[in-house]
Amino acid sequence: MDMTDPLRREEKKESAPDRHDSGPTRPDVSRPGRDNILKRMKRVDPKQSEKYKQRTGQ
Amino acid sequence: MKKRIYGIETEYGILVKDGEFKLGSVDVAARLKNYVFEKKLGALDQHYRANDEPPGNGGFLVNGGRLYLDMGHLEYASPECSNLVDLIAYDRAGDTIVQEALEELGWSEQVSLIKNNVDLETNATFGCHENYLVSRSFRFDNRDNLKMLASFLVTRQIYCGAGRIGACNPHPFRDWDGFTTDDSDAEKVDYQISQRADHIPNEFYRWVQYNRAIVNTRDEPLSDPSKYRRIHLLVGDSNMSEFATALKMGTTALMMELIEQGAANPDWILSDTVAAMRSISRDMEFKWEIVLRDGKTTAALELQWGILETAKKYLAGSANEADWILSAWESVLTDLPKGPEALIGRVDWAGKLWMLREFMKEEGLDWKDPSLKSQDLEYHNLNKKHGLYWCLEETGEAYRKTTDAAIAHSKTVPPRGTRADGRGELVKALMGQTGYLIDWIGFRLNKDEPFLMLDPFVSYKNEIRNYLKRAAPENPLDRKSYNAGPGKPYRMGGDKGGPP
Repeated sequence: MDMTDPLRREEKKESAPDRHDSGPTRPDVSRPGRDNILKRMKRVDPKQSEKYKQRTGQ
Repeated sequence: MKKRIYGIETEYGILVKDGEFKLGSVDVAARLKNYVFEKKLGALDQHYRANDEPPGNGGFLVNGGRLYLDMGHLEYASPECSNLVDLIAYDRAGDTIVQEALEELGWSEQVSLIKNNVDLETNATFGCHENYLVSRSFRFDNRDNLKMLASFLVTRQIYCGAGRIGACNPHPFRDWDGFTTDDSDAEKVDYQISQRADHIPNEFYRWVQYNRAIVNTRDEPLSDPSKYRRIHLLVGDSNMSEFATALKMGTTALMMELIEQGAANPDWILSDTVAAMRSISRDMEFKWEIVLRDGKTTAALELQWGILETAKKYLAGSANEADWILSAWESVLTDLPKGPEALIGRVDWAGKLWMLREFMKEEGLDWKDPSLKSQDLEYHNLNKKHGLYWCLEETGEAYRKTTDAAIAHSKTVPPRGTRADGRGELVKALMGQTGYLIDWIGFRLNKDEPFLMLDPFVSYKNEIRNYLKRAAPENPLDRKSYNAGPGKPYRMGGDKGGPP
């Protein structure tokens, strides 16, 4: 195909709004085990850090 | 690569989750310790080791390591190990011994053992101490040696840190007094990559509890002092990742070897290591800028690349272990600029950060949500049914340096190639007996002369077997002979923990 071929010309388009108002979204990078980790995290007592009460050691 | 002896001491945190539980964390630590010795996994001390270490406070284990109470914490010291694979197996054997004790006592749903270094509410801190045997020619009176080591230690946290939510600002010289009223640091810092960075106010010092230093200068070789020096470091975090533990210990050993060979470069010295420790830890843009002694500005990552290139030049091909360390080191430095997700399973602060971010996204939380501290703790929970780190092992994302079978073996069998092998033999023979005195550098039975084990590279196994044959049965062990009593602590080796 020739470089000047009209088919290669950039088509002019009106800009369209993103479907998300908040800008580009993070790619969906799902990892194996992510759901399982989140399941575990949801079971953690949200106040357990207040019960830790450790002494200073070395 | 020179032959090396490694050891790790771990102070565990104990979380009593059940408000109705009958014991507090200090009592749980004592009960767990007693249970391990009742299970015949070791022989309790019969004598004072120090004024705060009375008889029965702890003892040596059949695997050559040691379990004891220290300042209200349950602490495990690995036996002396001659390579990183052994070290990781024996470090995790300690975790397994104490976690199994918790489960066998029926407390695993009410109590959690937490392998971390900070109470995120009170900011109390407790340690993970590293021990490296170096030759006596590693000079401590050469300040540049220590400064090069300090610069390495401050910058290695980019791959060794275990990560924590928030920050604290303890009084630099009196952290037992609590904390300054200035909470601005905690407000400004959402997350940082090191647990210990806020608790290290000195570059060099010999104390281990307060006034901690990047390089601990206590000279306590626990071996022949004319040949060896024990470098005892308390600047690092407890790691959950086997890869992180191996890399932390391995790269540090190579750095020490560069110093011993005179190959370390004084250009690596930072202008202010204590300040750099904190600024690197708290920089969540991951620029990790540092200022060198000559005033030039660079980055922790660049400095680590420089040290790695020198290590490759001098140590590549010198041993399989050196080659593994160099390769692992390069892989992690290459991946650090890609962001935390590229490091999951190899770098604890990165794995934890990824988990926390995913959880925040899922639950619509921000960094100020107080429940995140509880998630932070849970990353370090030794209970494999609950702890967050273990999910990474389940999916295969966590790099393993050992195996579960090797860890199980390491609970009761000492490592080969070090004096821990002979000590394990001795401990087995001493269980149920009285009248013995045992320490890292030797032992004494009844009125016999002390049996010294001054060379950590020698197993002493056959000598100890022969010695024990001569001692029994016509010379039974006699407790009365060695009851030194309070105020007369026996000081064969001197240290509470620390294998050289």
